[in-house]
Amino acid sequence: MSRESYQKELSALQEAVVALSETVVDRLELALSSLATGDEEMARQVVDGDGEINTRYLELEGDCIDLFALQQPVASDLRFVAASFKILTDLERVGDLATNLAGYAIEANREVFPEVDVQALGVSAVEMVEMAVEAYAEADTEACFAIDDYDDSLDQRCVEASDAVVRSLIERETTMADDGAVERLLDDASRLLLTIRDLERVGDHAVNIAARTLYMVENDDALIY
Amino acid sequence: MSNAINESEESTATEQMPTEQEPESTTTAGESQEQVREEWSDYNFDGPAKLAVENLNVHYGSDHALKDVSMEIPEESVTALIGPSGCGKSTFLRCLNRMNDRIKAARIGGSVELEGTEIYDPNANLVELRKRIGMVFQQPNPFPKSIRDNISYGPRKHGDIDTGLLARLLGRDDTEAETELVERSLRQAALWEEVSDRLDDNALGLSGGQQQRLCIARALATDPEVLLMDEPASALDPIATSKIEDLVEELAKEYTVVIVTHNMQQAARISDQTAVFLTGGELVEYDDTDKIFENPESQRVEDYITGKFG
Repeated sequence: MSRESYQKELSALQEAVVALSETVVDRLELALSSLATGDEEMARQVVDGDGEINTRYLELEGDCIDLFALQQPVASDLRFVAASFKILTDLERVGDLATNLAGYAIEANREVFPEVDVQALGVSAVEMVEMAVEAYAEADTEACFAIDDYDDSLDQRCVEASDAVVRSLIERETTMADDGAVERLLDDASRLLLTIRDLERVGDHAVNIAARTLYMVENDDALIY
Repeated sequence: MSNAINESEESTATEQMPTEQEPESTTTAGESQEQVREEWSDYNFDGPAKLAVENLNVHYGSDHALKDVSMEIPEESVTALIGPSGCGKSTFLRCLNRMNDRIKAARIGGSVELEGTEIYDPNANLVELRKRIGMVFQQPNPFPKSIRDNISYGPRKHGDIDTGLLARLLGRDDTEAETELVERSLRQAALWEEVSDRLDDNALGLSGGQQQRLCIARALATDPEVLLMDEPASALDPIATSKIEDLVEELAKEYTVVIVTHNMQQAARISDQTAVFLTGGELVEYDDTDKIFENPESQRVEDYITGKFG
């Protein structure tokens, strides 16, 4: 095999993308735990760690640009570098969403809407990111379509969760007396709606990763929209 | 086209000619030659074909340099031929204006049609053919004459222009036509601005890049329809190369350009369709250039263009 150093750079890029995804998934799990427990220190860890993810993201994006400029990849190599370049952006965004979630954790009142299971939504979202990166690492196109299906069900569950929050608000409104309590309830409700929306977005980024992986493996843009 | 390929594959198989058998090693696991050819033999470009090549075979003595190559080349576009050294791409190019006729050991079989007319017809007029299909070589090869004479040499030989004392005595003087032709050809080759004030200087005093553009201007002066280029920029520096590349793209608006290049990025940059020849004189894949460089059908082409070859 010729162009050995180039081949090494390609494998190194793949390993680095997978490594970054592991960091991002760790942060997402920490954010979820802090949402569950209200552990502020854990939440701070996620917020403070976002700079590290951003730095690594920019470094790897630079590596992709170097590969484009210096090695002029073609065919499957081209699709691999192009897909990795896009996937890096999605990972960085998932990192941002983890930071948002950690922010909500610090303020969240876990008692108000017991009917909404944020943790279950969160576990699904984390699983989707893990599945998507595994599909990328293993060039598994079947998994890409499975992730897309998984996202349909997560979207549905997020809609149901948001509906539950609003319904609960309507039901409670008439029983509230004190103005301060109303304001706190509205804060809690909007924070919870944002939490649900951000978890739904994590799933969307997982689908993006799957879509780019499908393009990378089979030149198929069926999932890119 | 696809029928021709399939027929020849079949006849090869049924005749059981041992010399025609593909060695096992050239077929990548999980992918037979037939499958790959099936995929791209349906390849259709927009617009009419200028050249149609059918089952072209070239032998140099016992060496089978081109094997059953069939492809159509669309007019007013750039077709790149790429592949490793010795794959037959230059041999193929030379077949398109019968340059291989001069090589005694070469045996050529098959058909090449220029707008439906067989160029290998025994009655074909070679001078006329090479006027219609011009060629530019790897090393710039201007005549050791003035810039002006380099351009007007071909049209003079073809009797399209005539100047000088004898012509005047015979009542014909094309000096004006020559001046126009020289300017037009040099402008088309993007050289006019650089040499317009020294048309009577010796062409060998020009830089390599200028000499190559002069050779292109010289090829254009006989008003060809097809321009064959055999690695026209490989002896040039990057700036001269980019001028040639711009020029090729410009020429493709009026001419049919077929270009052999070792530089895959060059093929990717300037061509509309790319034909990949691999060792053994086979045309392995032919398709739109973006298809070849983003998602080739053949694993062998993939391995070659990504540098995993050999």
